[in-house]
Amino acid sequence: MLKNFIKISWRRIKADKTFSFINILGLSIGLTITILLFLFVLQERSFDTMYANKERIYRVIFNTSEERNNEVWATVPAALKPAAAIEIPEIQKSARLWDHDFGKTASIEANNQQFTEQKLYYADAEFLDIFQPEFIYGNSKSALERPNTIVISESTAEKYFGKTNPIGQMIGIDNKQKMEITGVYMDFPANSSLDGNMIASFNSIGFYDDPTWGNASFETYFLLNEQANRTQVTKKMQQLVDANVEKEHQWYTLSLQPLEKMHLYSSDIKSAFSSKTGSIEEVRNFSLLAILILLIACINYMNLATARSQKSTKDVGINKTLGASSKILILRFFTETGFVTLLSIFLALIFTVLAIPFFESIVGVDLSTKFLWSSEFAIALIAIWMITTLIAGSFPAFHLSKFSPMEVIRSGTNKNSFTAILRKGLVIVQFSASVILIISAIVIYNQLEFMRNKNLGYNPDNTVAISIAAVNSEREMQMLRNEFESLSEVSSTTMTQGFPGISVSGRSLYRNMNSDEAMSLQTNRTTGGIVETLQLKLLAGKDLPATKQEGDSIVDVLLNKKAVEFLGMEPQEAIGKNLIAQLGPNAYVIGVVDDFNFSSLRSPIGGYAFNNGFEPLQYMLVRFESEELPATVEKFRSKFAEVVPSSAFDYTFLDKNVEQMYSRDRRTATVALIFAGLAIFVACLGLFGLAAFMAEQRTKEIGIRKILGASITGIIGLLSKDFVKLVFFALIIAFPLAYWFAYKWLQEFVYRIEINWQIFLYAGLIALLIAITTVSFQALKAAISNPVNSLKND
Amino acid sequence: MLKLNHLYKWVKSGGKRIFLLNDLSLNVKQGEFLSIMGPSGSGKSTLLNIIAMLDEFQEGEYYFEDEAIHQLKPKKRTEIFNENIGFIFQAYHLLDDLTVYENIETPLLYKNVKSSERKALVADILDRFNIVGKKDLFPHQLSGGQQQLVGIARALIIKPKLILADEPTGNLNSKQSDEIMQLFNELNQEGVTIIQATHSESNAEYGSRTIHLLDGSATKL
Repeated sequence: MLKNFIKISWRRIKADKTFSFINILGLSIGLTITILLFLFVLQERSFDTMYANKERIYRVIFNTSEERNNEVWATVPAALKPAAAIEIPEIQKSARLWDHDFGKTASIEANNQQFTEQKLYYADAEFLDIFQPEFIYGNSKSALERPNTIVISESTAEKYFGKTNPIGQMIGIDNKQKMEITGVYMDFPANSSLDGNMIASFNSIGFYDDPTWGNASFETYFLLNEQANRTQVTKKMQQLVDANVEKEHQWYTLSLQPLEKMHLYSSDIKSAFSSKTGSIEEVRNFSLLAILILLIACINYMNLATARSQKSTKDVGINKTLGASSKILILRFFTETGFVTLLSIFLALIFTVLAIPFFESIVGVDLSTKFLWSSEFAIALIAIWMITTLIAGSFPAFHLSKFSPMEVIRSGTNKNSFTAILRKGLVIVQFSASVILIISAIVIYNQLEFMRNKNLGYNPDNTVAISIAAVNSEREMQMLRNEFESLSEVSSTTMTQGFPGISVSGRSLYRNMNSDEAMSLQTNRTTGGIVETLQLKLLAGKDLPATKQEGDSIVDVLLNKKAVEFLGMEPQEAIGKNLIAQLGPNAYVIGVVDDFNFSSLRSPIGGYAFNNGFEPLQYMLVRFESEELPATVEKFRSKFAEVVPSSAFDYTFLDKNVEQMYSRDRRTATVALIFAGLAIFVACLGLFGLAAFMAEQRTKEIGIRKILGASITGIIGLLSKDFVKLVFFALIIAFPLAYWFAYKWLQEFVYRIEINWQIFLYAGLIALLIAITTVSFQALKAAISNPVNSLKND
Repeated sequence: MLKLNHLYKWVKSGGKRIFLLNDLSLNVKQGEFLSIMGPSGSGKSTLLNIIAMLDEFQEGEYYFEDEAIHQLKPKKRTEIFNENIGFIFQAYHLLDDLTVYENIETPLLYKNVKSSERKALVADILDRFNIVGKKDLFPHQLSGGQQQLVGIARALIIKPKLILADEPTGNLNSKQSDEIMQLFNELNQEGVTIIQATHSESNAEYGSRTIHLLDGSATKL
């Protein structure tokens, strides 16, 4: 019987090619997206599952106090690890990780060549025991025990030394340190949060001998023993903090984050080293979208099924007089749907494989295609197949199969009001969903545009930050600066610790000597020229002095307006005031600049202080004019190599860096836009099929009307009117929902656009236009046909 | 074989009852070939549908081989119908997506007849109706007369005791029509009970008995 049903299904598909094409295409598009998103979700959820000890590995989390906006950090003080290893018996192994020079790019000298490396970490020897990366050369047990040793990844080894065994070779870092290679490990997989290309021994750096409880810059991992209780360990860590840090300096508490939550639940955690932070929100949103699209596709199927219901009704009637039970007919309709879905899934798999590169580029994630062969995926495909079949097939199966054989005897003249209403409802749902997606995409794009064009209070355009971490002497720095300033393209330069858009030092600004009231203050050590280079607006006082005497203990500070407001002063008043801001006793305000957005527009502007204090200078900011960017960059590169030949040239454009902050949003916008497009396309397929059917059903009516003198436009209007009405209904449903979604999303941004009515107008017009175009094509075909032909048919 | 006692069927329209069948009684014996005649709207089709247990009636009794149909549940009725009755339609009502062979085979599928047995039965009937050459064609590739032959073959495949035919030749020309009637005659002689509704006097004459319906009542028995 089943064989028979499948045979019939296949014939039905072949019999009505347009109809089947629309049906299968719509379903496969929906399924493709579902499969792609499912792969993405699978990948995101598989993060860090490859480590043998994964259930017992934890990262220590640093929760700051209210004064620091309750920020959560992934980095903790260096002193925790040695103390915890002794005092907390549940900790079987522990290791710190330090991102080279607080996250700066390292300049590497290897095999007599210069390289830059962003993923250089320093780790305690036990790190290799906890995570157990597989070693190709060297011994993982002892690789990081001695100072000045380093292990490197397979691909890094190949980049530096080719195919040869590099054990024993020396690597220079920032012209300061020489490291001996003691091991080569297999690259961390794409779905590992750990991403180090090079890991040096922790005892190579000063923090090893002199760990403090103040500087929270170290990711710390614990491997707990089998019996350990997370809450207990957390408590004991707190006891350690209590024992070592005075109460008034305890501006943080510590907690533990399981390794398996590290990837998806860390998007709010700052200062994490991994370049691959996922977001559970995104996984949820994408899952929701996938379901929505699949639903639209299923609705399409149902829609088209209702369109064919007249024929099916007759079919059901005949079959019943031939002895078919409802049960058999339900089975038959599900078989038919299941067959179509199966075809669609195969097609969708082909689409998926073709679309993976494109999807990867918009989502910005490398999808590992190995999931395509996993049993999980196979199970999921079967589940998707069954669910789609159940949803899409439910209408024909349950509605049509209950018709009595009398329907056939009444020979199909009855108007089935249920199907008509259902059909309308489905079209409305489809179009509402599409309109919501259109509006969301427009709102996200507008917000992105707004952020791109917003006056940030400084000018990130035409400014490049060149890493000078490998430049050793004051003299070399000055030389570099002079050389750059002599270039015709360059208008000004300055040396800095950081720049707006990246994190600098976090300190606290106190209202006065006796006050506990503090505000979080970002401090950035710079030299003079900062106002000119960043094009800041000076409200009072002057820029930092160009030079500073060696040994001068006075720190000049250039405050932003927000910080001055906190102090309760006018800009002019603040000049010359002594500042209590953990910048030493001799910090004085030299100037005040207007507020500028030094972090993302999601957050409000806080306190910021440029100063000529004591942090190391890491970048040279260069403002330039350029007709041809690549040539200018090349010029900079050669100039740089001329002055500091032993250092690699590493640079960032400030505007690119700002854009980077919103890359996730841009991605969301692109995904929403593409989904909206596809959703509308699928919805249109449904509408097209429906319109074709309606036109066919009304050919007789159209023929009669034409004989009675109706015009072509009149008939197009007649046929389109119903659909236009449905789209209007859809708009009424979609607008408030879309408004709500957009409103919620915009709340994330402190600086945001207003949702204006034009967006709704445009989205409505787009939907309407598309619907009318789709429908009128069919209507036109019906309207221009010769009435004699249509009337003869009956 | 079947007995109808004082059957009433009506529909309500504007608060009034419109009688489709009005106090109709009928007795059909095994092996009869009964023709029901009457103008459009006289209730021929309604009567056939009720006999086929496809339609309900409001009052009266219906016995099929001593089974009180009016007291049975729908499921049981369907069962009796499926076992005993073959229905032939004016518009043939073949399944468009199936070939001649498959159309004839379908009732056997629903009765869960074994594959080998199905093949034998279908082959027999194709042979008998001389349509072996057409077995792989689809309905739309056949003439009206051929389609109706398939329709009859399909009705006969389950070896029904009773055949109900609602204007079986209504869409056919007189030559095709005669052929079909000839076939009915043969079937009847083989012992199949036949009830046909028809407009045509000449068709009615093939029957062993004719009743005339007018406004839901029998005028001449």
